[in-house]
Amino acid sequence: MSDLDRQIEQLKRCEPLKESEVKALCLKAMEILVEESNVQRVDAPVTICGDIHGQFYDMKELFKVGGDCPKTNYLFLGDFVDRGFYSVETFLLLLALKVRYPDRITLIRGNHESRQITQVYGFYDECLRKYGSVNVWRYCTDIFDYLSLSALIENKIFSVHGGLSPAITTLDQIRTIDRKQEVPHDGAMCDLLWSDPEDVDGWGLSPRGAGYLFGGNVVTSFNHSNNIDYICRAHQLVMEGYKWMFNNQIVTVWSAPNYCYRCGNVAAILVLDENLDQQFTVFEAAPHESRGVPSKKPAPDYFL
Amino acid sequence: MADWDGASDSDLKAAGAEPLSDGRRGLRLKGWHIESIKRPILGSLARQELEEKLGTSHLPEMVFGDSSLFLLHVGTGIKLHFNAFDALMGWMQEALPPVEVPAAAKWKFRSKPSQQVILDYDYTFTTPYCGSETSESELEKTILEDGCCSLHWEDCDERIDLAVLSMKEPILFYDEVVLYEDELADNGVSLLTVKVRVMPSCWFLLLRYWLRVDGVLMRLRDTRVYCSFASDDKVKPIIIRENCWREATIESLSVQGFPSGSAAYADPNLISQNLPIVKNKTQRLKIPSSLSEHDGGNFNVSEKQL
Repeated sequence: MSDLDRQIEQLKRCEPLKESEVKALCLKAMEILVEESNVQRVDAPVTICGDIHGQFYDMKELFKVGGDCPKTNYLFLGDFVDRGFYSVETFLLLLALKVRYPDRITLIRGNHESRQITQVYGFYDECLRKYGSVNVWRYCTDIFDYLSLSALIENKIFSVHGGLSPAITTLDQIRTIDRKQEVPHDGAMCDLLWSDPEDVDGWGLSPRGAGYLFGGNVVTSFNHSNNIDYICRAHQLVMEGYKWMFNNQIVTVWSAPNYCYRCGNVAAILVLDENLDQQFTVFEAAPHESRGVPSKKPAPDYFL
Repeated sequence: MADWDGASDSDLKAAGAEPLSDGRRGLRLKGWHIESIKRPILGSLARQELEEKLGTSHLPEMVFGDSSLFLLHVGTGIKLHFNAFDALMGWMQEALPPVEVPAAAKWKFRSKPSQQVILDYDYTFTTPYCGSETSESELEKTILEDGCCSLHWEDCDERIDLAVLSMKEPILFYDEVVLYEDELADNGVSLLTVKVRVMPSCWFLLLRYWLRVDGVLMRLRDTRVYCSFASDDKVKPIIIRENCWREATIESLSVQGFPSGSAAYADPNLISQNLPIVKNKTQRLKIPSSLSEHDGGNFNVSEKQL
């Protein structure tokens, strides 16, 4: 058994790698990812997965219902880390699979694959807690900069973490972005990872003063200009695991069941066969016994 | 957090408390029926219905619309309850102007798409909600129709007895219920929760609205409600409520030497005392005298009513 196969087995048991192993894995992953396009071509059949957010045991459920990699070809739409308890193991397992089977798993970047966001929402603290230093966080966030920004399945289905950008009308414009950087606060790359569909005409600006919302007519013209059937994205929690909008021109896929261990939602993956026929597989969170999360019953607390 | 298997049988028995059966969360004690209901977030259809009821197309990402906490005084039919719907009504009514995030400054210089609308609802879901109170008594309904004194809160000088609450009496029932939550699209947190603890001598709860807009603002709106058990179940209960609203910009905190990074503010308890108070009042629940004479037999909570 090669070192890499042994590491994959270890990660599948939710046991993190040694710091030196993470460093070596990240270097190998970098060599593979640097060659990928900003609009990475993906062949069908493929199974598309949305946000995971460090919910390792639920990702194991995902592989249980979706099949193991490399038998199943996977596309993950980002947000591997933060919020859940096992961002380290989750991301490293996906990365190890990427290095082992580069043509059978595609990882694109979510807005949480960022230095700034991971310092607030959990991944940074988790690395510090599990390794006693921030080196692993550094190796991983350096790799984030190499992740592709989107994928195109059989030239027909455009996949991205967040959504569209007013600065982007053609896929070629995405191809010209210099992606090897921290996710910027504005501009096309930011929008692809952050924006949301919304019932507006044209574009909406979030009340936060930053963040685009795009309406049905924007999706129609994007799909038409780029000759695609529909957009598949993640980024937003949907109770039912997936949600179509704008007459099936865009679908949100969400793959973190019982999000944050308290929402009680189901999750879904989108299974596309060789003819691009769709089937959503809905799944639930891993049974309570199989995961090391706090009991549902909160410990009493003499709050004041 | 450690596991908790609930209060010990001997503590419950000594206090005369009766845990609810059939997997329901809560207990009956000293004339009170206290129960929490925890359900998953609303699904798409229920969200749509709620949007229509409230007259908005924006709701928190996670609405625990079927979750609630209620405390029913069986002898008088007075019921305090805490739910997302009423809280969101409060948000709609208060309708604060939106708070800009730090990136907004840069966005002002972006070229605008030809067709752009600017949304301007309060995406923080800030609410003045401090609980709902109803009377399940028929008598009370008649009084209301007469336009006479109904159940309401009155300012008072009494305070919640912190000394009693600091005593480590056994906790007979404890729960925390999230009513709604939003991640502000990864720009912070907006969270409305209610925590309750029931001891042999009293119950106490904390309803907390907690907002952190990363790099901008922290807001805490706490409602504490306290009731000391009377020796006679039929007597009108004395219920005291304390509202304390605190707020500070991250800028003002950093001037005082507190960190400016959001990672330092994951737990509101650690910073709450350093946030200036913007509003503080104590009130007592004024209960119409007719209610106290009522025989409590009719106000048992059945599964049907839930």
